[in-house]
Amino acid sequence: MSYDSHHGDHHDHPSPFGPHDWSHGAPHNSWAPIMMAFGSSIFLLGFTKVFTQTWEGDAWSYAINSAQFGLLIAGLAIFTAGLYVFWRQDWSFDGIEFEPKSVGTPFRGIDIRKVAIWMFLMSEMMVFSSLFSTYLRYRTGIDNCEALHAAGTLTDGTVCWLPASYFIAEGGWHQETAHAALKFMPDTLIPGAINTFALIVSSYTIVLALKTAKDRSLSDSERNRKVGKYLLTTLLLATLFLIFKLVEWFVGFELGDHDHPLFYSPSLLADGFTIHASDYTYQVCNEWHDHHCAEGQLETYTIDIRMAASTFYVTTGTHGVHVFGGMVALVYMVIKAYRGGYTPDNAVSIEYFGLYWHFVDLVWVLVFPAFYLY
Amino acid sequence: MFSTLKKPQNIGIIAILLLAVVMAPSVTSYPHGASGVQDSGCACHGSQADGVTPVLDGLPNELTPSMTYTLNISFTGGPSGEDPNAAALGGFHLWVSEGSLSPIDGDDKVKINPDGSATHNGIDGEDVGTGNDQTSWQVEWTAPAEGGAKFTLHVNSVNGDGIASDLDDWNRLNAEVGPQPVEQASGLTVFASSILLMITIVGGCVVWVFYRENPDSFSWDYFVPWLSDWLTTTDHKKVGTLYFLSGFFFLGVGGLFALIFRIQLATPGNDFLTQDEYNQFFTMHGTTMIFLAAMPMIAGFANWIVPLQIGAHDLALPRMNALAFWLNPAAALLIFTGIFSGQGADVGWTGYAPYIVSHTAHSGATLWVAGQILLVASSTIAGINFMTTFCTMRAPGMGWMQMPLFSWSILVATLMLFISIPAFGIGLIQVLLDRTIGTVFYEVAAGGDPLLWSHLFWYFGHPEVYVVVLPAFGVISEVLSTSARRTVFGYKSMVFALAGIGVLGFIVYGHHMFTSGMSPVLRFVTMLTTMLVAVPTGIKIFNWLQTMHGGSLVYRTHTLWALGFLVTFTLGGISGMYFPAVAMDLHLHETYFVVAHFHYVFVGGIIFGLYSGIYYWYPKATGRMLNEKLGVMHFMVGFISYNLVFWPMHRLGIQGMPRRQHTYFITTDQYFALPAEAADWNMMITIAAFFFAASNLILVYNIVVSALRGQKAPNDPWGGWSMEWLTTSPPPTPSHDPHNLPVLQFEEEHDDGDPGLFGRWIQWMMIAEDGGEEE
Repeated sequence: MSYDSHHGDHHDHPSPFGPHDWSHGAPHNSWAPIMMAFGSSIFLLGFTKVFTQTWEGDAWSYAINSAQFGLLIAGLAIFTAGLYVFWRQDWSFDGIEFEPKSVGTPFRGIDIRKVAIWMFLMSEMMVFSSLFSTYLRYRTGIDNCEALHAAGTLTDGTVCWLPASYFIAEGGWHQETAHAALKFMPDTLIPGAINTFALIVSSYTIVLALKTAKDRSLSDSERNRKVGKYLLTTLLLATLFLIFKLVEWFVGFELGDHDHPLFYSPSLLADGFTIHASDYTYQVCNEWHDHHCAEGQLETYTIDIRMAASTFYVTTGTHGVHVFGGMVALVYMVIKAYRGGYTPDNAVSIEYFGLYWHFVDLVWVLVFPAFYLY
Repeated sequence: MFSTLKKPQNIGIIAILLLAVVMAPSVTSYPHGASGVQDSGCACHGSQADGVTPVLDGLPNELTPSMTYTLNISFTGGPSGEDPNAAALGGFHLWVSEGSLSPIDGDDKVKINPDGSATHNGIDGEDVGTGNDQTSWQVEWTAPAEGGAKFTLHVNSVNGDGIASDLDDWNRLNAEVGPQPVEQASGLTVFASSILLMITIVGGCVVWVFYRENPDSFSWDYFVPWLSDWLTTTDHKKVGTLYFLSGFFFLGVGGLFALIFRIQLATPGNDFLTQDEYNQFFTMHGTTMIFLAAMPMIAGFANWIVPLQIGAHDLALPRMNALAFWLNPAAALLIFTGIFSGQGADVGWTGYAPYIVSHTAHSGATLWVAGQILLVASSTIAGINFMTTFCTMRAPGMGWMQMPLFSWSILVATLMLFISIPAFGIGLIQVLLDRTIGTVFYEVAAGGDPLLWSHLFWYFGHPEVYVVVLPAFGVISEVLSTSARRTVFGYKSMVFALAGIGVLGFIVYGHHMFTSGMSPVLRFVTMLTTMLVAVPTGIKIFNWLQTMHGGSLVYRTHTLWALGFLVTFTLGGISGMYFPAVAMDLHLHETYFVVAHFHYVFVGGIIFGLYSGIYYWYPKATGRMLNEKLGVMHFMVGFISYNLVFWPMHRLGIQGMPRRQHTYFITTDQYFALPAEAADWNMMITIAAFFFAASNLILVYNIVVSALRGQKAPNDPWGGWSMEWLTTSPPPTPSHDPHNLPVLQFEEEHDDGDPGLFGRWIQWMMIAEDGGEEE
């Protein structure tokens, strides 16, 4: 087939939108790259303005501001459409997928895509290394608020580090006042702990999905159902993770009577741990008396803890974005599994997704102690 | 969608609309405005009438600088003359381009507007003799210290009924005094017009190329499929061509930036560009040249040559490859958005914190950062793709140590790029969030550390300079060994030198931060490691020399560029050796010596290397030979003018001319003394820069003309023996038959059946799909 001449046979080209037969190895046209590239560009064009504009003024400035928001949405939509085209082309719908193999040493016989995913993880390592460098630089370079207070040098307006673990692991100001359902641990750590287990379990379910997909003893329909079930479980666990994280950031948990809650875990936002917390009210009680601070024992400082919050939200947020990306891929994989896309001969994409998913899991295992516990 | 363009009247309407859009902004800048007198600040009413005659007396014939003149403003005619007891008689509005207007002491009939123009004072409905009740006024004008001025006078003749109505008349007078300046366009206008011109030319070229592909059966019906084939292509050769087009386009844009601010720097104390524009222009020059010109051109070479050279039918991930390309123009869109709104990034290509997160940095810096994030994504995707290709798609028989040196250089460069660029990406994301949602990573007041940005940036930024120069090394190795008609001297040492630069490149970046207050211990360490870089680089230089020594050199155009590269790159390397010495660096830091050094390695190293590659591989890519006469002319003009541009900068730097500054002054001041000769050198640099720019047009002309009428190229015009010369010129698609890949036959037969220790280890790690523990 001729790619060089535009006259005559251009109608015979495989559609740049539709599914392809990849097995003959010739290059294929695709609208996905240009859509994804300009989609992300338009998204960023909107993004840069959406957060900086003020929602005040006349109808005209409202219109302009809404247009910025529209750019953001349009960019996302174009990107998503590009991603759809990308996957639509990949998925041949007949269960037979072309999986190119390596010819060169030392990877001979190994799937090319497997090497590529390892390469991708190598650069992902650097992404999180950079975030952890930032964290280490500021964690070690900025004085800890509690240490400053202990040394008696904390004053109003001090720039210091109040770690997220102060709010999460120690319960912050609530540690003394909350009626903890679990006495050995403040409630504020519970969502994070559940999240950790959710991710670890989801790493297990993705392996089960791979194992099931490769199981030749199952009938096709049974295999499709079970693979789909395991992938769906992974997806649900990932969703649980993100929901718990957003609740922990913005909403908070409260169970039972408001004055004597069974379970009480206020959100970080409600506790004032935000990136704009340049005048956070830091309270220390020197002597407790029946869940209330004794008369004259309460010390109050106004301090700047923006750096701790920025580091926390951006690092855990970047991890959250990776989880979200995994969820988008999982939605595609769940649909594909129920429609019979995975067979014992063709289960590699579960494996590749699993590699990525294990990586995301592993990063959380580092993020969790660094930001939630210490 | 293009069918509407078939009708000539539609094209005419679009052309008129375009013209109107282009004209509209410039028209408003005239003092009398685009839509009449209202825009000029004159609230004249009624209609313009020839019967009203404005008079402006008191302007001298010979203007004395800074002298104050009394101007008499009056008018005759119109409806005002008939009733001496009328409520109002008339008004005026006088606008002057230079100097300043002021009322005569004690005169309450004239007032000065906020914009400096003069007008009558007060609206008088009661006939009490204030400014509105006159037909003549007096105002003082202080002439400017040099040059002349333009006057625009509006007078309004009022019928006296006290109402601004259609019965009133007005008229205008334009006057000039003294020497008039030559009309000057602003740098921004020049730049925007040039871009518009370039887009028009490129658009024209696209249509013309489409026509030339098959002139006999030309039809617009095929245009959309043809264009969409290019927009959606994933073939490595076509994507490579797209990379080249984009790279050349932005090389032109970056060059325009350079020429425009070279005009600014041609004479001391010049104000062709404002300080604000200058900051944006040098920022965009650096960003464009490195990220949008050099990197895409290298990616273009890598795309075109690597699969051909290692015997692969395409890259490993073709659609990812197309995505990596399309992110480039998408990012350029963001990076340039600021410039066209007059608020382009003014942060330098390094974007140093804390300025970049401050509110004084232009708003375009936000979009500049956003665009860079897309470029980081592009480089990462391209990196994954190329690394995978190298690992998995080398032809049977080609072990690591049989790979041609160009492929090796791309391999090392890609590995460096893609290990270092995530740090830059994360830094950019932090800056973007600082500038948008208000995180405080680089906010000094909240404990932010500007040095962290420098570390993240230079951890990427220094490997980046090797990322762009290593492919040029690879090209030179190919070109010199082919031209010398022998294998390259010391192949293994060349590979280890590349790898050595790859390792050293990561531990030297501190030398960019000697003056930043970094730890003295780190300064000492990076001083030593930086000096060490000279060792592998020196090995390469001497190997190239030895290749020529043992060979029999053929002086084709690509050989000339390679020889030119050897000269200029070595000079750039030697001037580079001044910087690792901390004391010397503190002295030369932020001077033109630095500018001279990195242009010697960037232009003399990278661009010369890439030009050499263009002359070398053009016949393979297009099936046509480039014109050798034009090539030699390009080399002679380019090489000489290039050295004239950048060699004097060493001298200027030692004399103390600072870089990144809007202008300079010839002064005898003890601390900021630049001798008078500095002005002459700068003028010479500017003139030579225009010659250098012109020399590139020779290349463009050569490429276009040779594509049309060049001699047909054989499969292997130069006698090269790497695998790209096995294919036809231009190569087929897929580039090598995937079912019948070429097999490398080597003197020392590489036993590719045995993967070796490392290979066995990798296979153990990765569990091969066939065999292994899977039943």
